[in-house]
Amino acid sequence: MTMNNRKNIILEEYENEFSYKKSKTNLDIQFNRIAFIFFVFVMISIIYSVQLLHLGSLKSGGDARSIPNIKDYRADIVDRNGNYLVKTVSSIDIGISPIEVIDKQKLLINLKWIFPKKDYVKVEKKLNKNKFFKFEKTISSSNYQKIMSLGDKSIRPEERLTRIYPQKNLFSHIIGQIDNENNGISGLEKSFDEKLKQSNEPLKLTVDADIQFLIREELVRFQSIFRSKGSAAILMNVNNGEIISMVSYPDFDLNKREKIVDLNFINRATKGVYELGSVFKTFTVAAGLEEGLINTDTEFLNLEKRLKCGKNTITEYDNKIPPDLTVEQILIRSGNVGSVRIGQRLEIIKLKTFLEKIGVLKKIKFDIEEVGEPIPFKWGKCKLATVSYGHGITTTPLQLAKAYAIISNGGFDIEPSLIKQDSENYQKKKRIIKAGISEKITPILRKIVATKAGTAGLANIDGYEVGGKTGTANKTSIGGYSNAKVNTFAGIFPTSNPKYVLIVLLDEPKTSSDYVYEYKNKKGSYTGTPFNTAGWTSVEVAGKIIEKIGPILATKHIEN
Amino acid sequence: MKQLVLVVIFVLILTTSLVKNSTKEIEDQIFVINENIRPLKSKLEDELLEFNYLSSPEKLVQYQTRYFEKDLIKIEIMKIKEITENNENLEINDLINKNDNE
Repeated sequence: MTMNNRKNIILEEYENEFSYKKSKTNLDIQFNRIAFIFFVFVMISIIYSVQLLHLGSLKSGGDARSIPNIKDYRADIVDRNGNYLVKTVSSIDIGISPIEVIDKQKLLINLKWIFPKKDYVKVEKKLNKNKFFKFEKTISSSNYQKIMSLGDKSIRPEERLTRIYPQKNLFSHIIGQIDNENNGISGLEKSFDEKLKQSNEPLKLTVDADIQFLIREELVRFQSIFRSKGSAAILMNVNNGEIISMVSYPDFDLNKREKIVDLNFINRATKGVYELGSVFKTFTVAAGLEEGLINTDTEFLNLEKRLKCGKNTITEYDNKIPPDLTVEQILIRSGNVGSVRIGQRLEIIKLKTFLEKIGVLKKIKFDIEEVGEPIPFKWGKCKLATVSYGHGITTTPLQLAKAYAIISNGGFDIEPSLIKQDSENYQKKKRIIKAGISEKITPILRKIVATKAGTAGLANIDGYEVGGKTGTANKTSIGGYSNAKVNTFAGIFPTSNPKYVLIVLLDEPKTSSDYVYEYKNKKGSYTGTPFNTAGWTSVEVAGKIIEKIGPILATKHIEN
Repeated sequence: MKQLVLVVIFVLILTTSLVKNSTKEIEDQIFVINENIRPLKSKLEDELLEFNYLSSPEKLVQYQTRYFEKDLIKIEIMKIKEITENNENLEINDLINKNDNE
């Protein structure tokens, strides 16, 4: 039996030893297991991913609910040096629920101690109405501590986000306002509404708070001297279009959140559309040079004292102007008839094309929406004549700044901008005016300021090589022109290598009888404004501005 | 060969879990640091806002009229000199070069 068993065992062993198929089957089972494990892994990962997605969707929705004030969030705005112009801060409002007040008189005494300036007759009336009301908005942390230490259950603090403007009026037209629903309604707050709501990074502007302050200070000072209706100034880099300062006066304190309805508060720098007068003569001369029809020494002989065109008579402002003038002299002495002659040599199509090229005829694209549209007109022989010396044509001070920048920067196109970009993003724009035109125009602009024959001597500030052109124009009224004036100075400096364009516009200035002018091109001073012209008003303002901002631009201002 | 693949997969799973474990610790540390930075950043922004307000041009002019009106004098830009270092030598030049043509 045992023998038989042994044999059987041996037989079984043998069977096992040669059973390769079984071994193969084992391997198959192993691979099927791996496939199964992979399958399980895949299933787990799918379930895990679904779970993750589900959690992710819950998280994003949950955040918005858990921070109720996130809807009031807007990104900060800083100037080119990183100074805050607008900042979103959390603030605490105090509300009172009269139903929960235990002792009204005691509460009123305590509130009077903390907020002595409030009208407590009104507060008492509100307390008696038994309806919840806002007692004080945006309280300081010390007052918050005091009011909470009262331990009164009826006092309800409410945290909310608020936007504060540390520079007050300084950038009111640039920054603009927001409404109670946290939507931008003007300025950059409106045009960058979505970006400000979504971005975590502050919006960096090209403006400089210090320079803006100094320019505004001069505009405010001269507003009282020349009693103008309003004024505007733009300082721009001629090479990249960065606006370093843009002031329109009168302005408003953004912190007060007032509804501005008075039209006198419009942004004169961008929205104001004006007939700017003789500042356009520079364009007529530049167009003539561009077309090769004139040179700076081209002579115009026997120029009339007056020209008749249809119903209008074109006369010279300066009766002493000689009849024979070169192109350079026409621009320096601001000759109307000479400019008309250059315009006539150009003809409509060439002058129109040039003005379109430098961007003064059509509405300009800009970073804020408050941009004026030049009034369209029909070209004709008389229109050509008046446009040649800057009348019967309108534009905005911003477009004037752009045009003077192109004329002085070598003829390269630029777009005025308020938003700071990385310096490597700036690409030299395409040339739109022939090479050499700037080199011919800027010395003439310099002579307008530096010589006695010029009309802008009061802006000749030592050390800054100021050049520019004046423009005095009567404001239009129904059926003609009024006596009210718009006096403009379009300046560039330094003329040997232009970097900045400065536009100063005074809207309806009056003469001053006691203002003392210090002569720049000769010794002495003069009391009282002899003529209500740009040369005696806006040029004086521009001179004072350059005197103030010049040291900052020359020493501290970094071109980046 | 197939066993080698299995071993490689096993080793990869093991190293992944180890790496993941160590990165989790780093992630935790980063989270804690970020949470500590957040109030500091907020405080810095508030301080900067206060600094901007106190050093705003309007305030500086107020301080000037109150404290330094007689002490501060205006210097002509033409009198300002610029010092530049050139091969260990100091060069003193006018900040604004007067144009020869004028």
